[in-house]
Amino acid sequence: MDGSLLEVKGVSKTFDGVVHALDDVTIAVRQNEIVGVVGENGAGKSTLMKILVGVYAPDKGELYYRGRKVPFPKNPKEAAERGISIVYQEKGVIPHLQVYQFLLLGHEDKYVKLSRLQIDKMKKDAREILEEFHVKCDVENFMYELPLSTQKMVEIARAILSVRLEHGDDDVTSIIILDEPTAPLTIEERRGLFSDILEMKKNASFIFVSHIIPEVMEFTDRVHVLRDGKLVAHYDLSKEKITEEDLFRAIVGRESSEYIYKPEVKGVVSEEVVLTVKDLTKNGCYYDISFDLRKGECIGIFGPAGSGKSEIIKTIAGLMSFEGGGLIVRGQKVKADELPHFRLGRGIGYFSGEIGKELFLNWPITKNISIVSIEKILLRMLPVISFNAERKMAEKIVKRLRISAPSVNTDCYSLSGGSKQKVSVGKWLERNPDILLLEDPTIGIDVGAREDIYETALEMKKSGISMILVSDDPKEYSMLCDKIMFIKDGRIQKVLSPEEFGKVMAA
Amino acid sequence: MKILGSNKITPVIIQTLKTHPLIIALIAFVVMFSVLIPARFLTPLNFSSILRLFVTYTLFALGPTIVVVIGSLDLSYVGIWMLGGVLLWLLMPILGMLSILVYPLLGLATGLLIGVIQVKVKIPSFILTLSLLVTFAGLAAWLAGGVSRPVREYAFITAPLIPHLPTAFLWSIPIIIAAVFIMKRTRIGTYLYAIGSNEEGAGLAGINVDKYKILAFTLSGLLTGIGLIILFQHLGGSAPVELKLGNLVWPLAAIVLGGTPLVGGSGGPHRTALGALTLAVATQGLYLMILLPEVVALLLGLLLVAAIVIGTRGLKGVTIT
Amino acid sequence: MARQLLSQERLRRNVTTVGPMVAVIAIIAGFQAINPRFLSYHGIVALVNNMSIYLIAACGLTFVIMTGSFDFSVVSILRLAALLCALNIERFGLLVIPLVLLISVGFGFINGLLVAKFNVPSFMATLGVSFAVDGVGLYLVGRRLFIMGGERAETFMALATTRIAGLPSVFYWAMAIWIISTFIALCTPFGRRTYALGGNPIGARLSGINVERHRIYVFMLSGFLSGLAGVLFMAWQGGGSMEIGKHMPVPLFASVVAGGTALTGGVGGPHRTLLGVMIITWSEVGMMMLALPYYIIMVFFGLIAIGMSIATIDRRRIKIIK
Repeated sequence: MDGSLLEVKGVSKTFDGVVHALDDVTIAVRQNEIVGVVGENGAGKSTLMKILVGVYAPDKGELYYRGRKVPFPKNPKEAAERGISIVYQEKGVIPHLQVYQFLLLGHEDKYVKLSRLQIDKMKKDAREILEEFHVKCDVENFMYELPLSTQKMVEIARAILSVRLEHGDDDVTSIIILDEPTAPLTIEERRGLFSDILEMKKNASFIFVSHIIPEVMEFTDRVHVLRDGKLVAHYDLSKEKITEEDLFRAIVGRESSEYIYKPEVKGVVSEEVVLTVKDLTKNGCYYDISFDLRKGECIGIFGPAGSGKSEIIKTIAGLMSFEGGGLIVRGQKVKADELPHFRLGRGIGYFSGEIGKELFLNWPITKNISIVSIEKILLRMLPVISFNAERKMAEKIVKRLRISAPSVNTDCYSLSGGSKQKVSVGKWLERNPDILLLEDPTIGIDVGAREDIYETALEMKKSGISMILVSDDPKEYSMLCDKIMFIKDGRIQKVLSPEEFGKVMAA
Repeated sequence: MKILGSNKITPVIIQTLKTHPLIIALIAFVVMFSVLIPARFLTPLNFSSILRLFVTYTLFALGPTIVVVIGSLDLSYVGIWMLGGVLLWLLMPILGMLSILVYPLLGLATGLLIGVIQVKVKIPSFILTLSLLVTFAGLAAWLAGGVSRPVREYAFITAPLIPHLPTAFLWSIPIIIAAVFIMKRTRIGTYLYAIGSNEEGAGLAGINVDKYKILAFTLSGLLTGIGLIILFQHLGGSAPVELKLGNLVWPLAAIVLGGTPLVGGSGGPHRTALGALTLAVATQGLYLMILLPEVVALLLGLLLVAAIVIGTRGLKGVTIT
Repeated sequence: MARQLLSQERLRRNVTTVGPMVAVIAIIAGFQAINPRFLSYHGIVALVNNMSIYLIAACGLTFVIMTGSFDFSVVSILRLAALLCALNIERFGLLVIPLVLLISVGFGFINGLLVAKFNVPSFMATLGVSFAVDGVGLYLVGRRLFIMGGERAETFMALATTRIAGLPSVFYWAMAIWIISTFIALCTPFGRRTYALGGNPIGARLSGINVERHRIYVFMLSGFLSGLAGVLFMAWQGGGSMEIGKHMPVPLFASVVAGGTALTGGVGGPHRTLLGVMIITWSEVGMMMLALPYYIIMVFFGLIAIGMSIATIDRRRIKIIK
């Protein structure tokens, strides 16, 4: 690619020899441009960025700077010397440091005199850069005292400052990587951020990693799409005419025909209401969410990252508390700060695709499945576990879900991702809750396992279990949901039927 | 901080009180004891006893404070005291007065060893330093033949200079200042706070976390060792050879009371000094009032638990085992 | 790297399962070779005597460590329980046993409350409680030495000292308690929940386990067993003072860890602890027979504690170890 400032070619990275995080990826960044890197969760975006700043070393690949081959940076400081710095999606902030300390973290050698830090000079330089970026805060505040959006702005200022400090040379064009920067920002702040970025474009380039398609479409010059660790598409937005749906399809990789609504598959929804959500509100996350969930119904909450869908489902699961409104389950009001085990007592189960969160990986399949249904495997009236019953329960599930494992006594650690997921689903199948909350249920699993899980979910639905689905995969919504709520900025925008949803996605 | 008029001081004082509520407790204790038992509390002897306790708690706790800031624990200080004492006795005939250097050197070596093992082998610091403590205690007993060995040559260190002011206290001041300086005014200090606050984020920001963790443990051992030059004589000129958990606890209590949270990221030696002072006042006052050491220990234990509960109230939802 | 991790894991598993058994055999063989009287009738009685009380207390501590916590108050509760029996045996007779056990459970409850509801780190909470318990003990007993006497005391002591098949009944009590503890851990929902809590606290919550309540129960169990150990101690020894158990804390902890119950929680159990107790108490006996001074034994225990902690920690689960 001509005129490219930075180019990574053929980068591959595996973790633990099993997970292919990146597979032969090539992207390029040109002078004074904003490049987008988009993809689903787990597509490899963050890994690629961490390689660019030296946090990880790639297994394979080459790096070119202005056409010349250079070694990959070994640590963030080296990367900054070359002009590359990053604003992380999360965990980038160090809460107990003061703003000026955080801004200059890693660059103290410029301020050290006889092993003593020149704090006044640090504060002065900090104030200057904050002013330059219109960030309103006191350099002596602790980072945890700032609102999240201000913290993000400080992180961005820090990234830019890093490059300036390490390479004061104007000859080097900085490349700033922004990994999902806009999630904690308000609308005005996003506007402000983007106008600042456009201003800075004159002497810097940006890599904008995001999920949020409208923003990517509006502010990037070129877009790279990653899926399952591979580069699947590359669009030059200034030259080609691309729609949001084109981008969607590239990210998710599905054919439009798969969005067709198949009513007979889904079973009948009864009239009985099992869960009522009324004006549910949590400041900063979601506002006035109201809907009813009926027996045997599956409702999908769909929206871009940061829309509040994840927070809503976690709230219903008991992992988060809500501030306003109410939840009514089985006719009883639910308390705002109840813990998950209470929710389970009310008949609400939560299943997340983040493997390991709820599975006991060092336990065998048998124990993982029985833990939520222990009453079922006890001996008559005694509080004693019948290993026989436990084994039979697990065998039943393994057979039904076609879990591939040497035996039911195999530890879950050694199972494949898809099998682990199936064990998780299986335990809920056995438990038979009234309501099952599914968050990203099929993330990172192969196609075959996915189909099995969908089949199981539909079976559970037919047997009367109600479900709420939150996911990044539109196909899942079409397959499983009777109703799909579209959420943006924490509010329900509209409620679609699967047919309408399919049309919107396929168009 | 130029003091031009009283209105410059007041906001500073209020700010300090807000961030260091323990000062209020300290003042409350002093007032309480002065009112209840003035005859025993407000004497020069008591004043010097309080300072003596302060020195003991502080010089043992300064090093471990640094380790607590990064979120770990260092329980090895009593072990360094015990083993060092025996080594001192053994080396005295050979090296003479220079033998006192065994303390800083042992402290340095111990800290370095702990740091390296903790970082490379990844053992939780609590278990590691506790086990090391037990091992050192055993070694000390073995080398000493099971008996406490006094060393008299260093009596001059704590020879009285100013009436009613323990000399050890004077010696401790520069050590405290050095510790505070390291944590608050150097790059090392900033990095250690960063690691304690968010270890992952600190690594992502480019800090060599392993290196600084090892440094933290090494500093801890070194500071303890330097403090022991004074402490050894201050505590009677001979180290015990039997491990008593009581010795271990009070310096930790000073750290926690002072306001350095065990999860790390904030606090520091200045707070530990404050905690040590408060603890010393409370201990002395309670002892003078009640005269039964067990009951005093019980009450102080309750005080400590109350301080922890109040301090960790804000961490609801974080499971600390 | 996965292969490396899996083989590392397999190695760890093998070491922790097979290791303790090998160690026990090695100890028996070793000491027997050095001193043939090790396995004589008197030798075995000595081994069994030492082991019994430790085993009971260690079972309680095992449950706590399985949940990923720590209990420093075991020995203090044991001591207080023993002394309370001695003080009150004349007044209450055998009724003193349930009363003392109730008090021990009470202290366990306080431990659990501090850790589960107030989020106090377990080592601090239990250390604080141990101070409180010792304080009570010192207040009641001071520096006095008690030796029990009288008819009621005789009945009480018979509980532990009656000889059955040549071994004192305290041994049979210990084995019974051990069997029951193992059963609870492996075959009951309570035990399952305990493993779950230690193995994955978030997963435990999501699986419907009331984490706070269960932690309290576990600490209460530990308190109960500590108290029981104390009661049996007094029945067996017939006397004591505040010096009881002075040397117990470190070997006790070492025996739990040496058995293969990891500090990270979620693995091990009372069945493992039996091996650990055997290793610790029998090597203690053996070393005493060799007339090794006590402090060398302490060094040995310290090193075992470090060594087994290293070996048993499940590194896969903990990314950031402090």
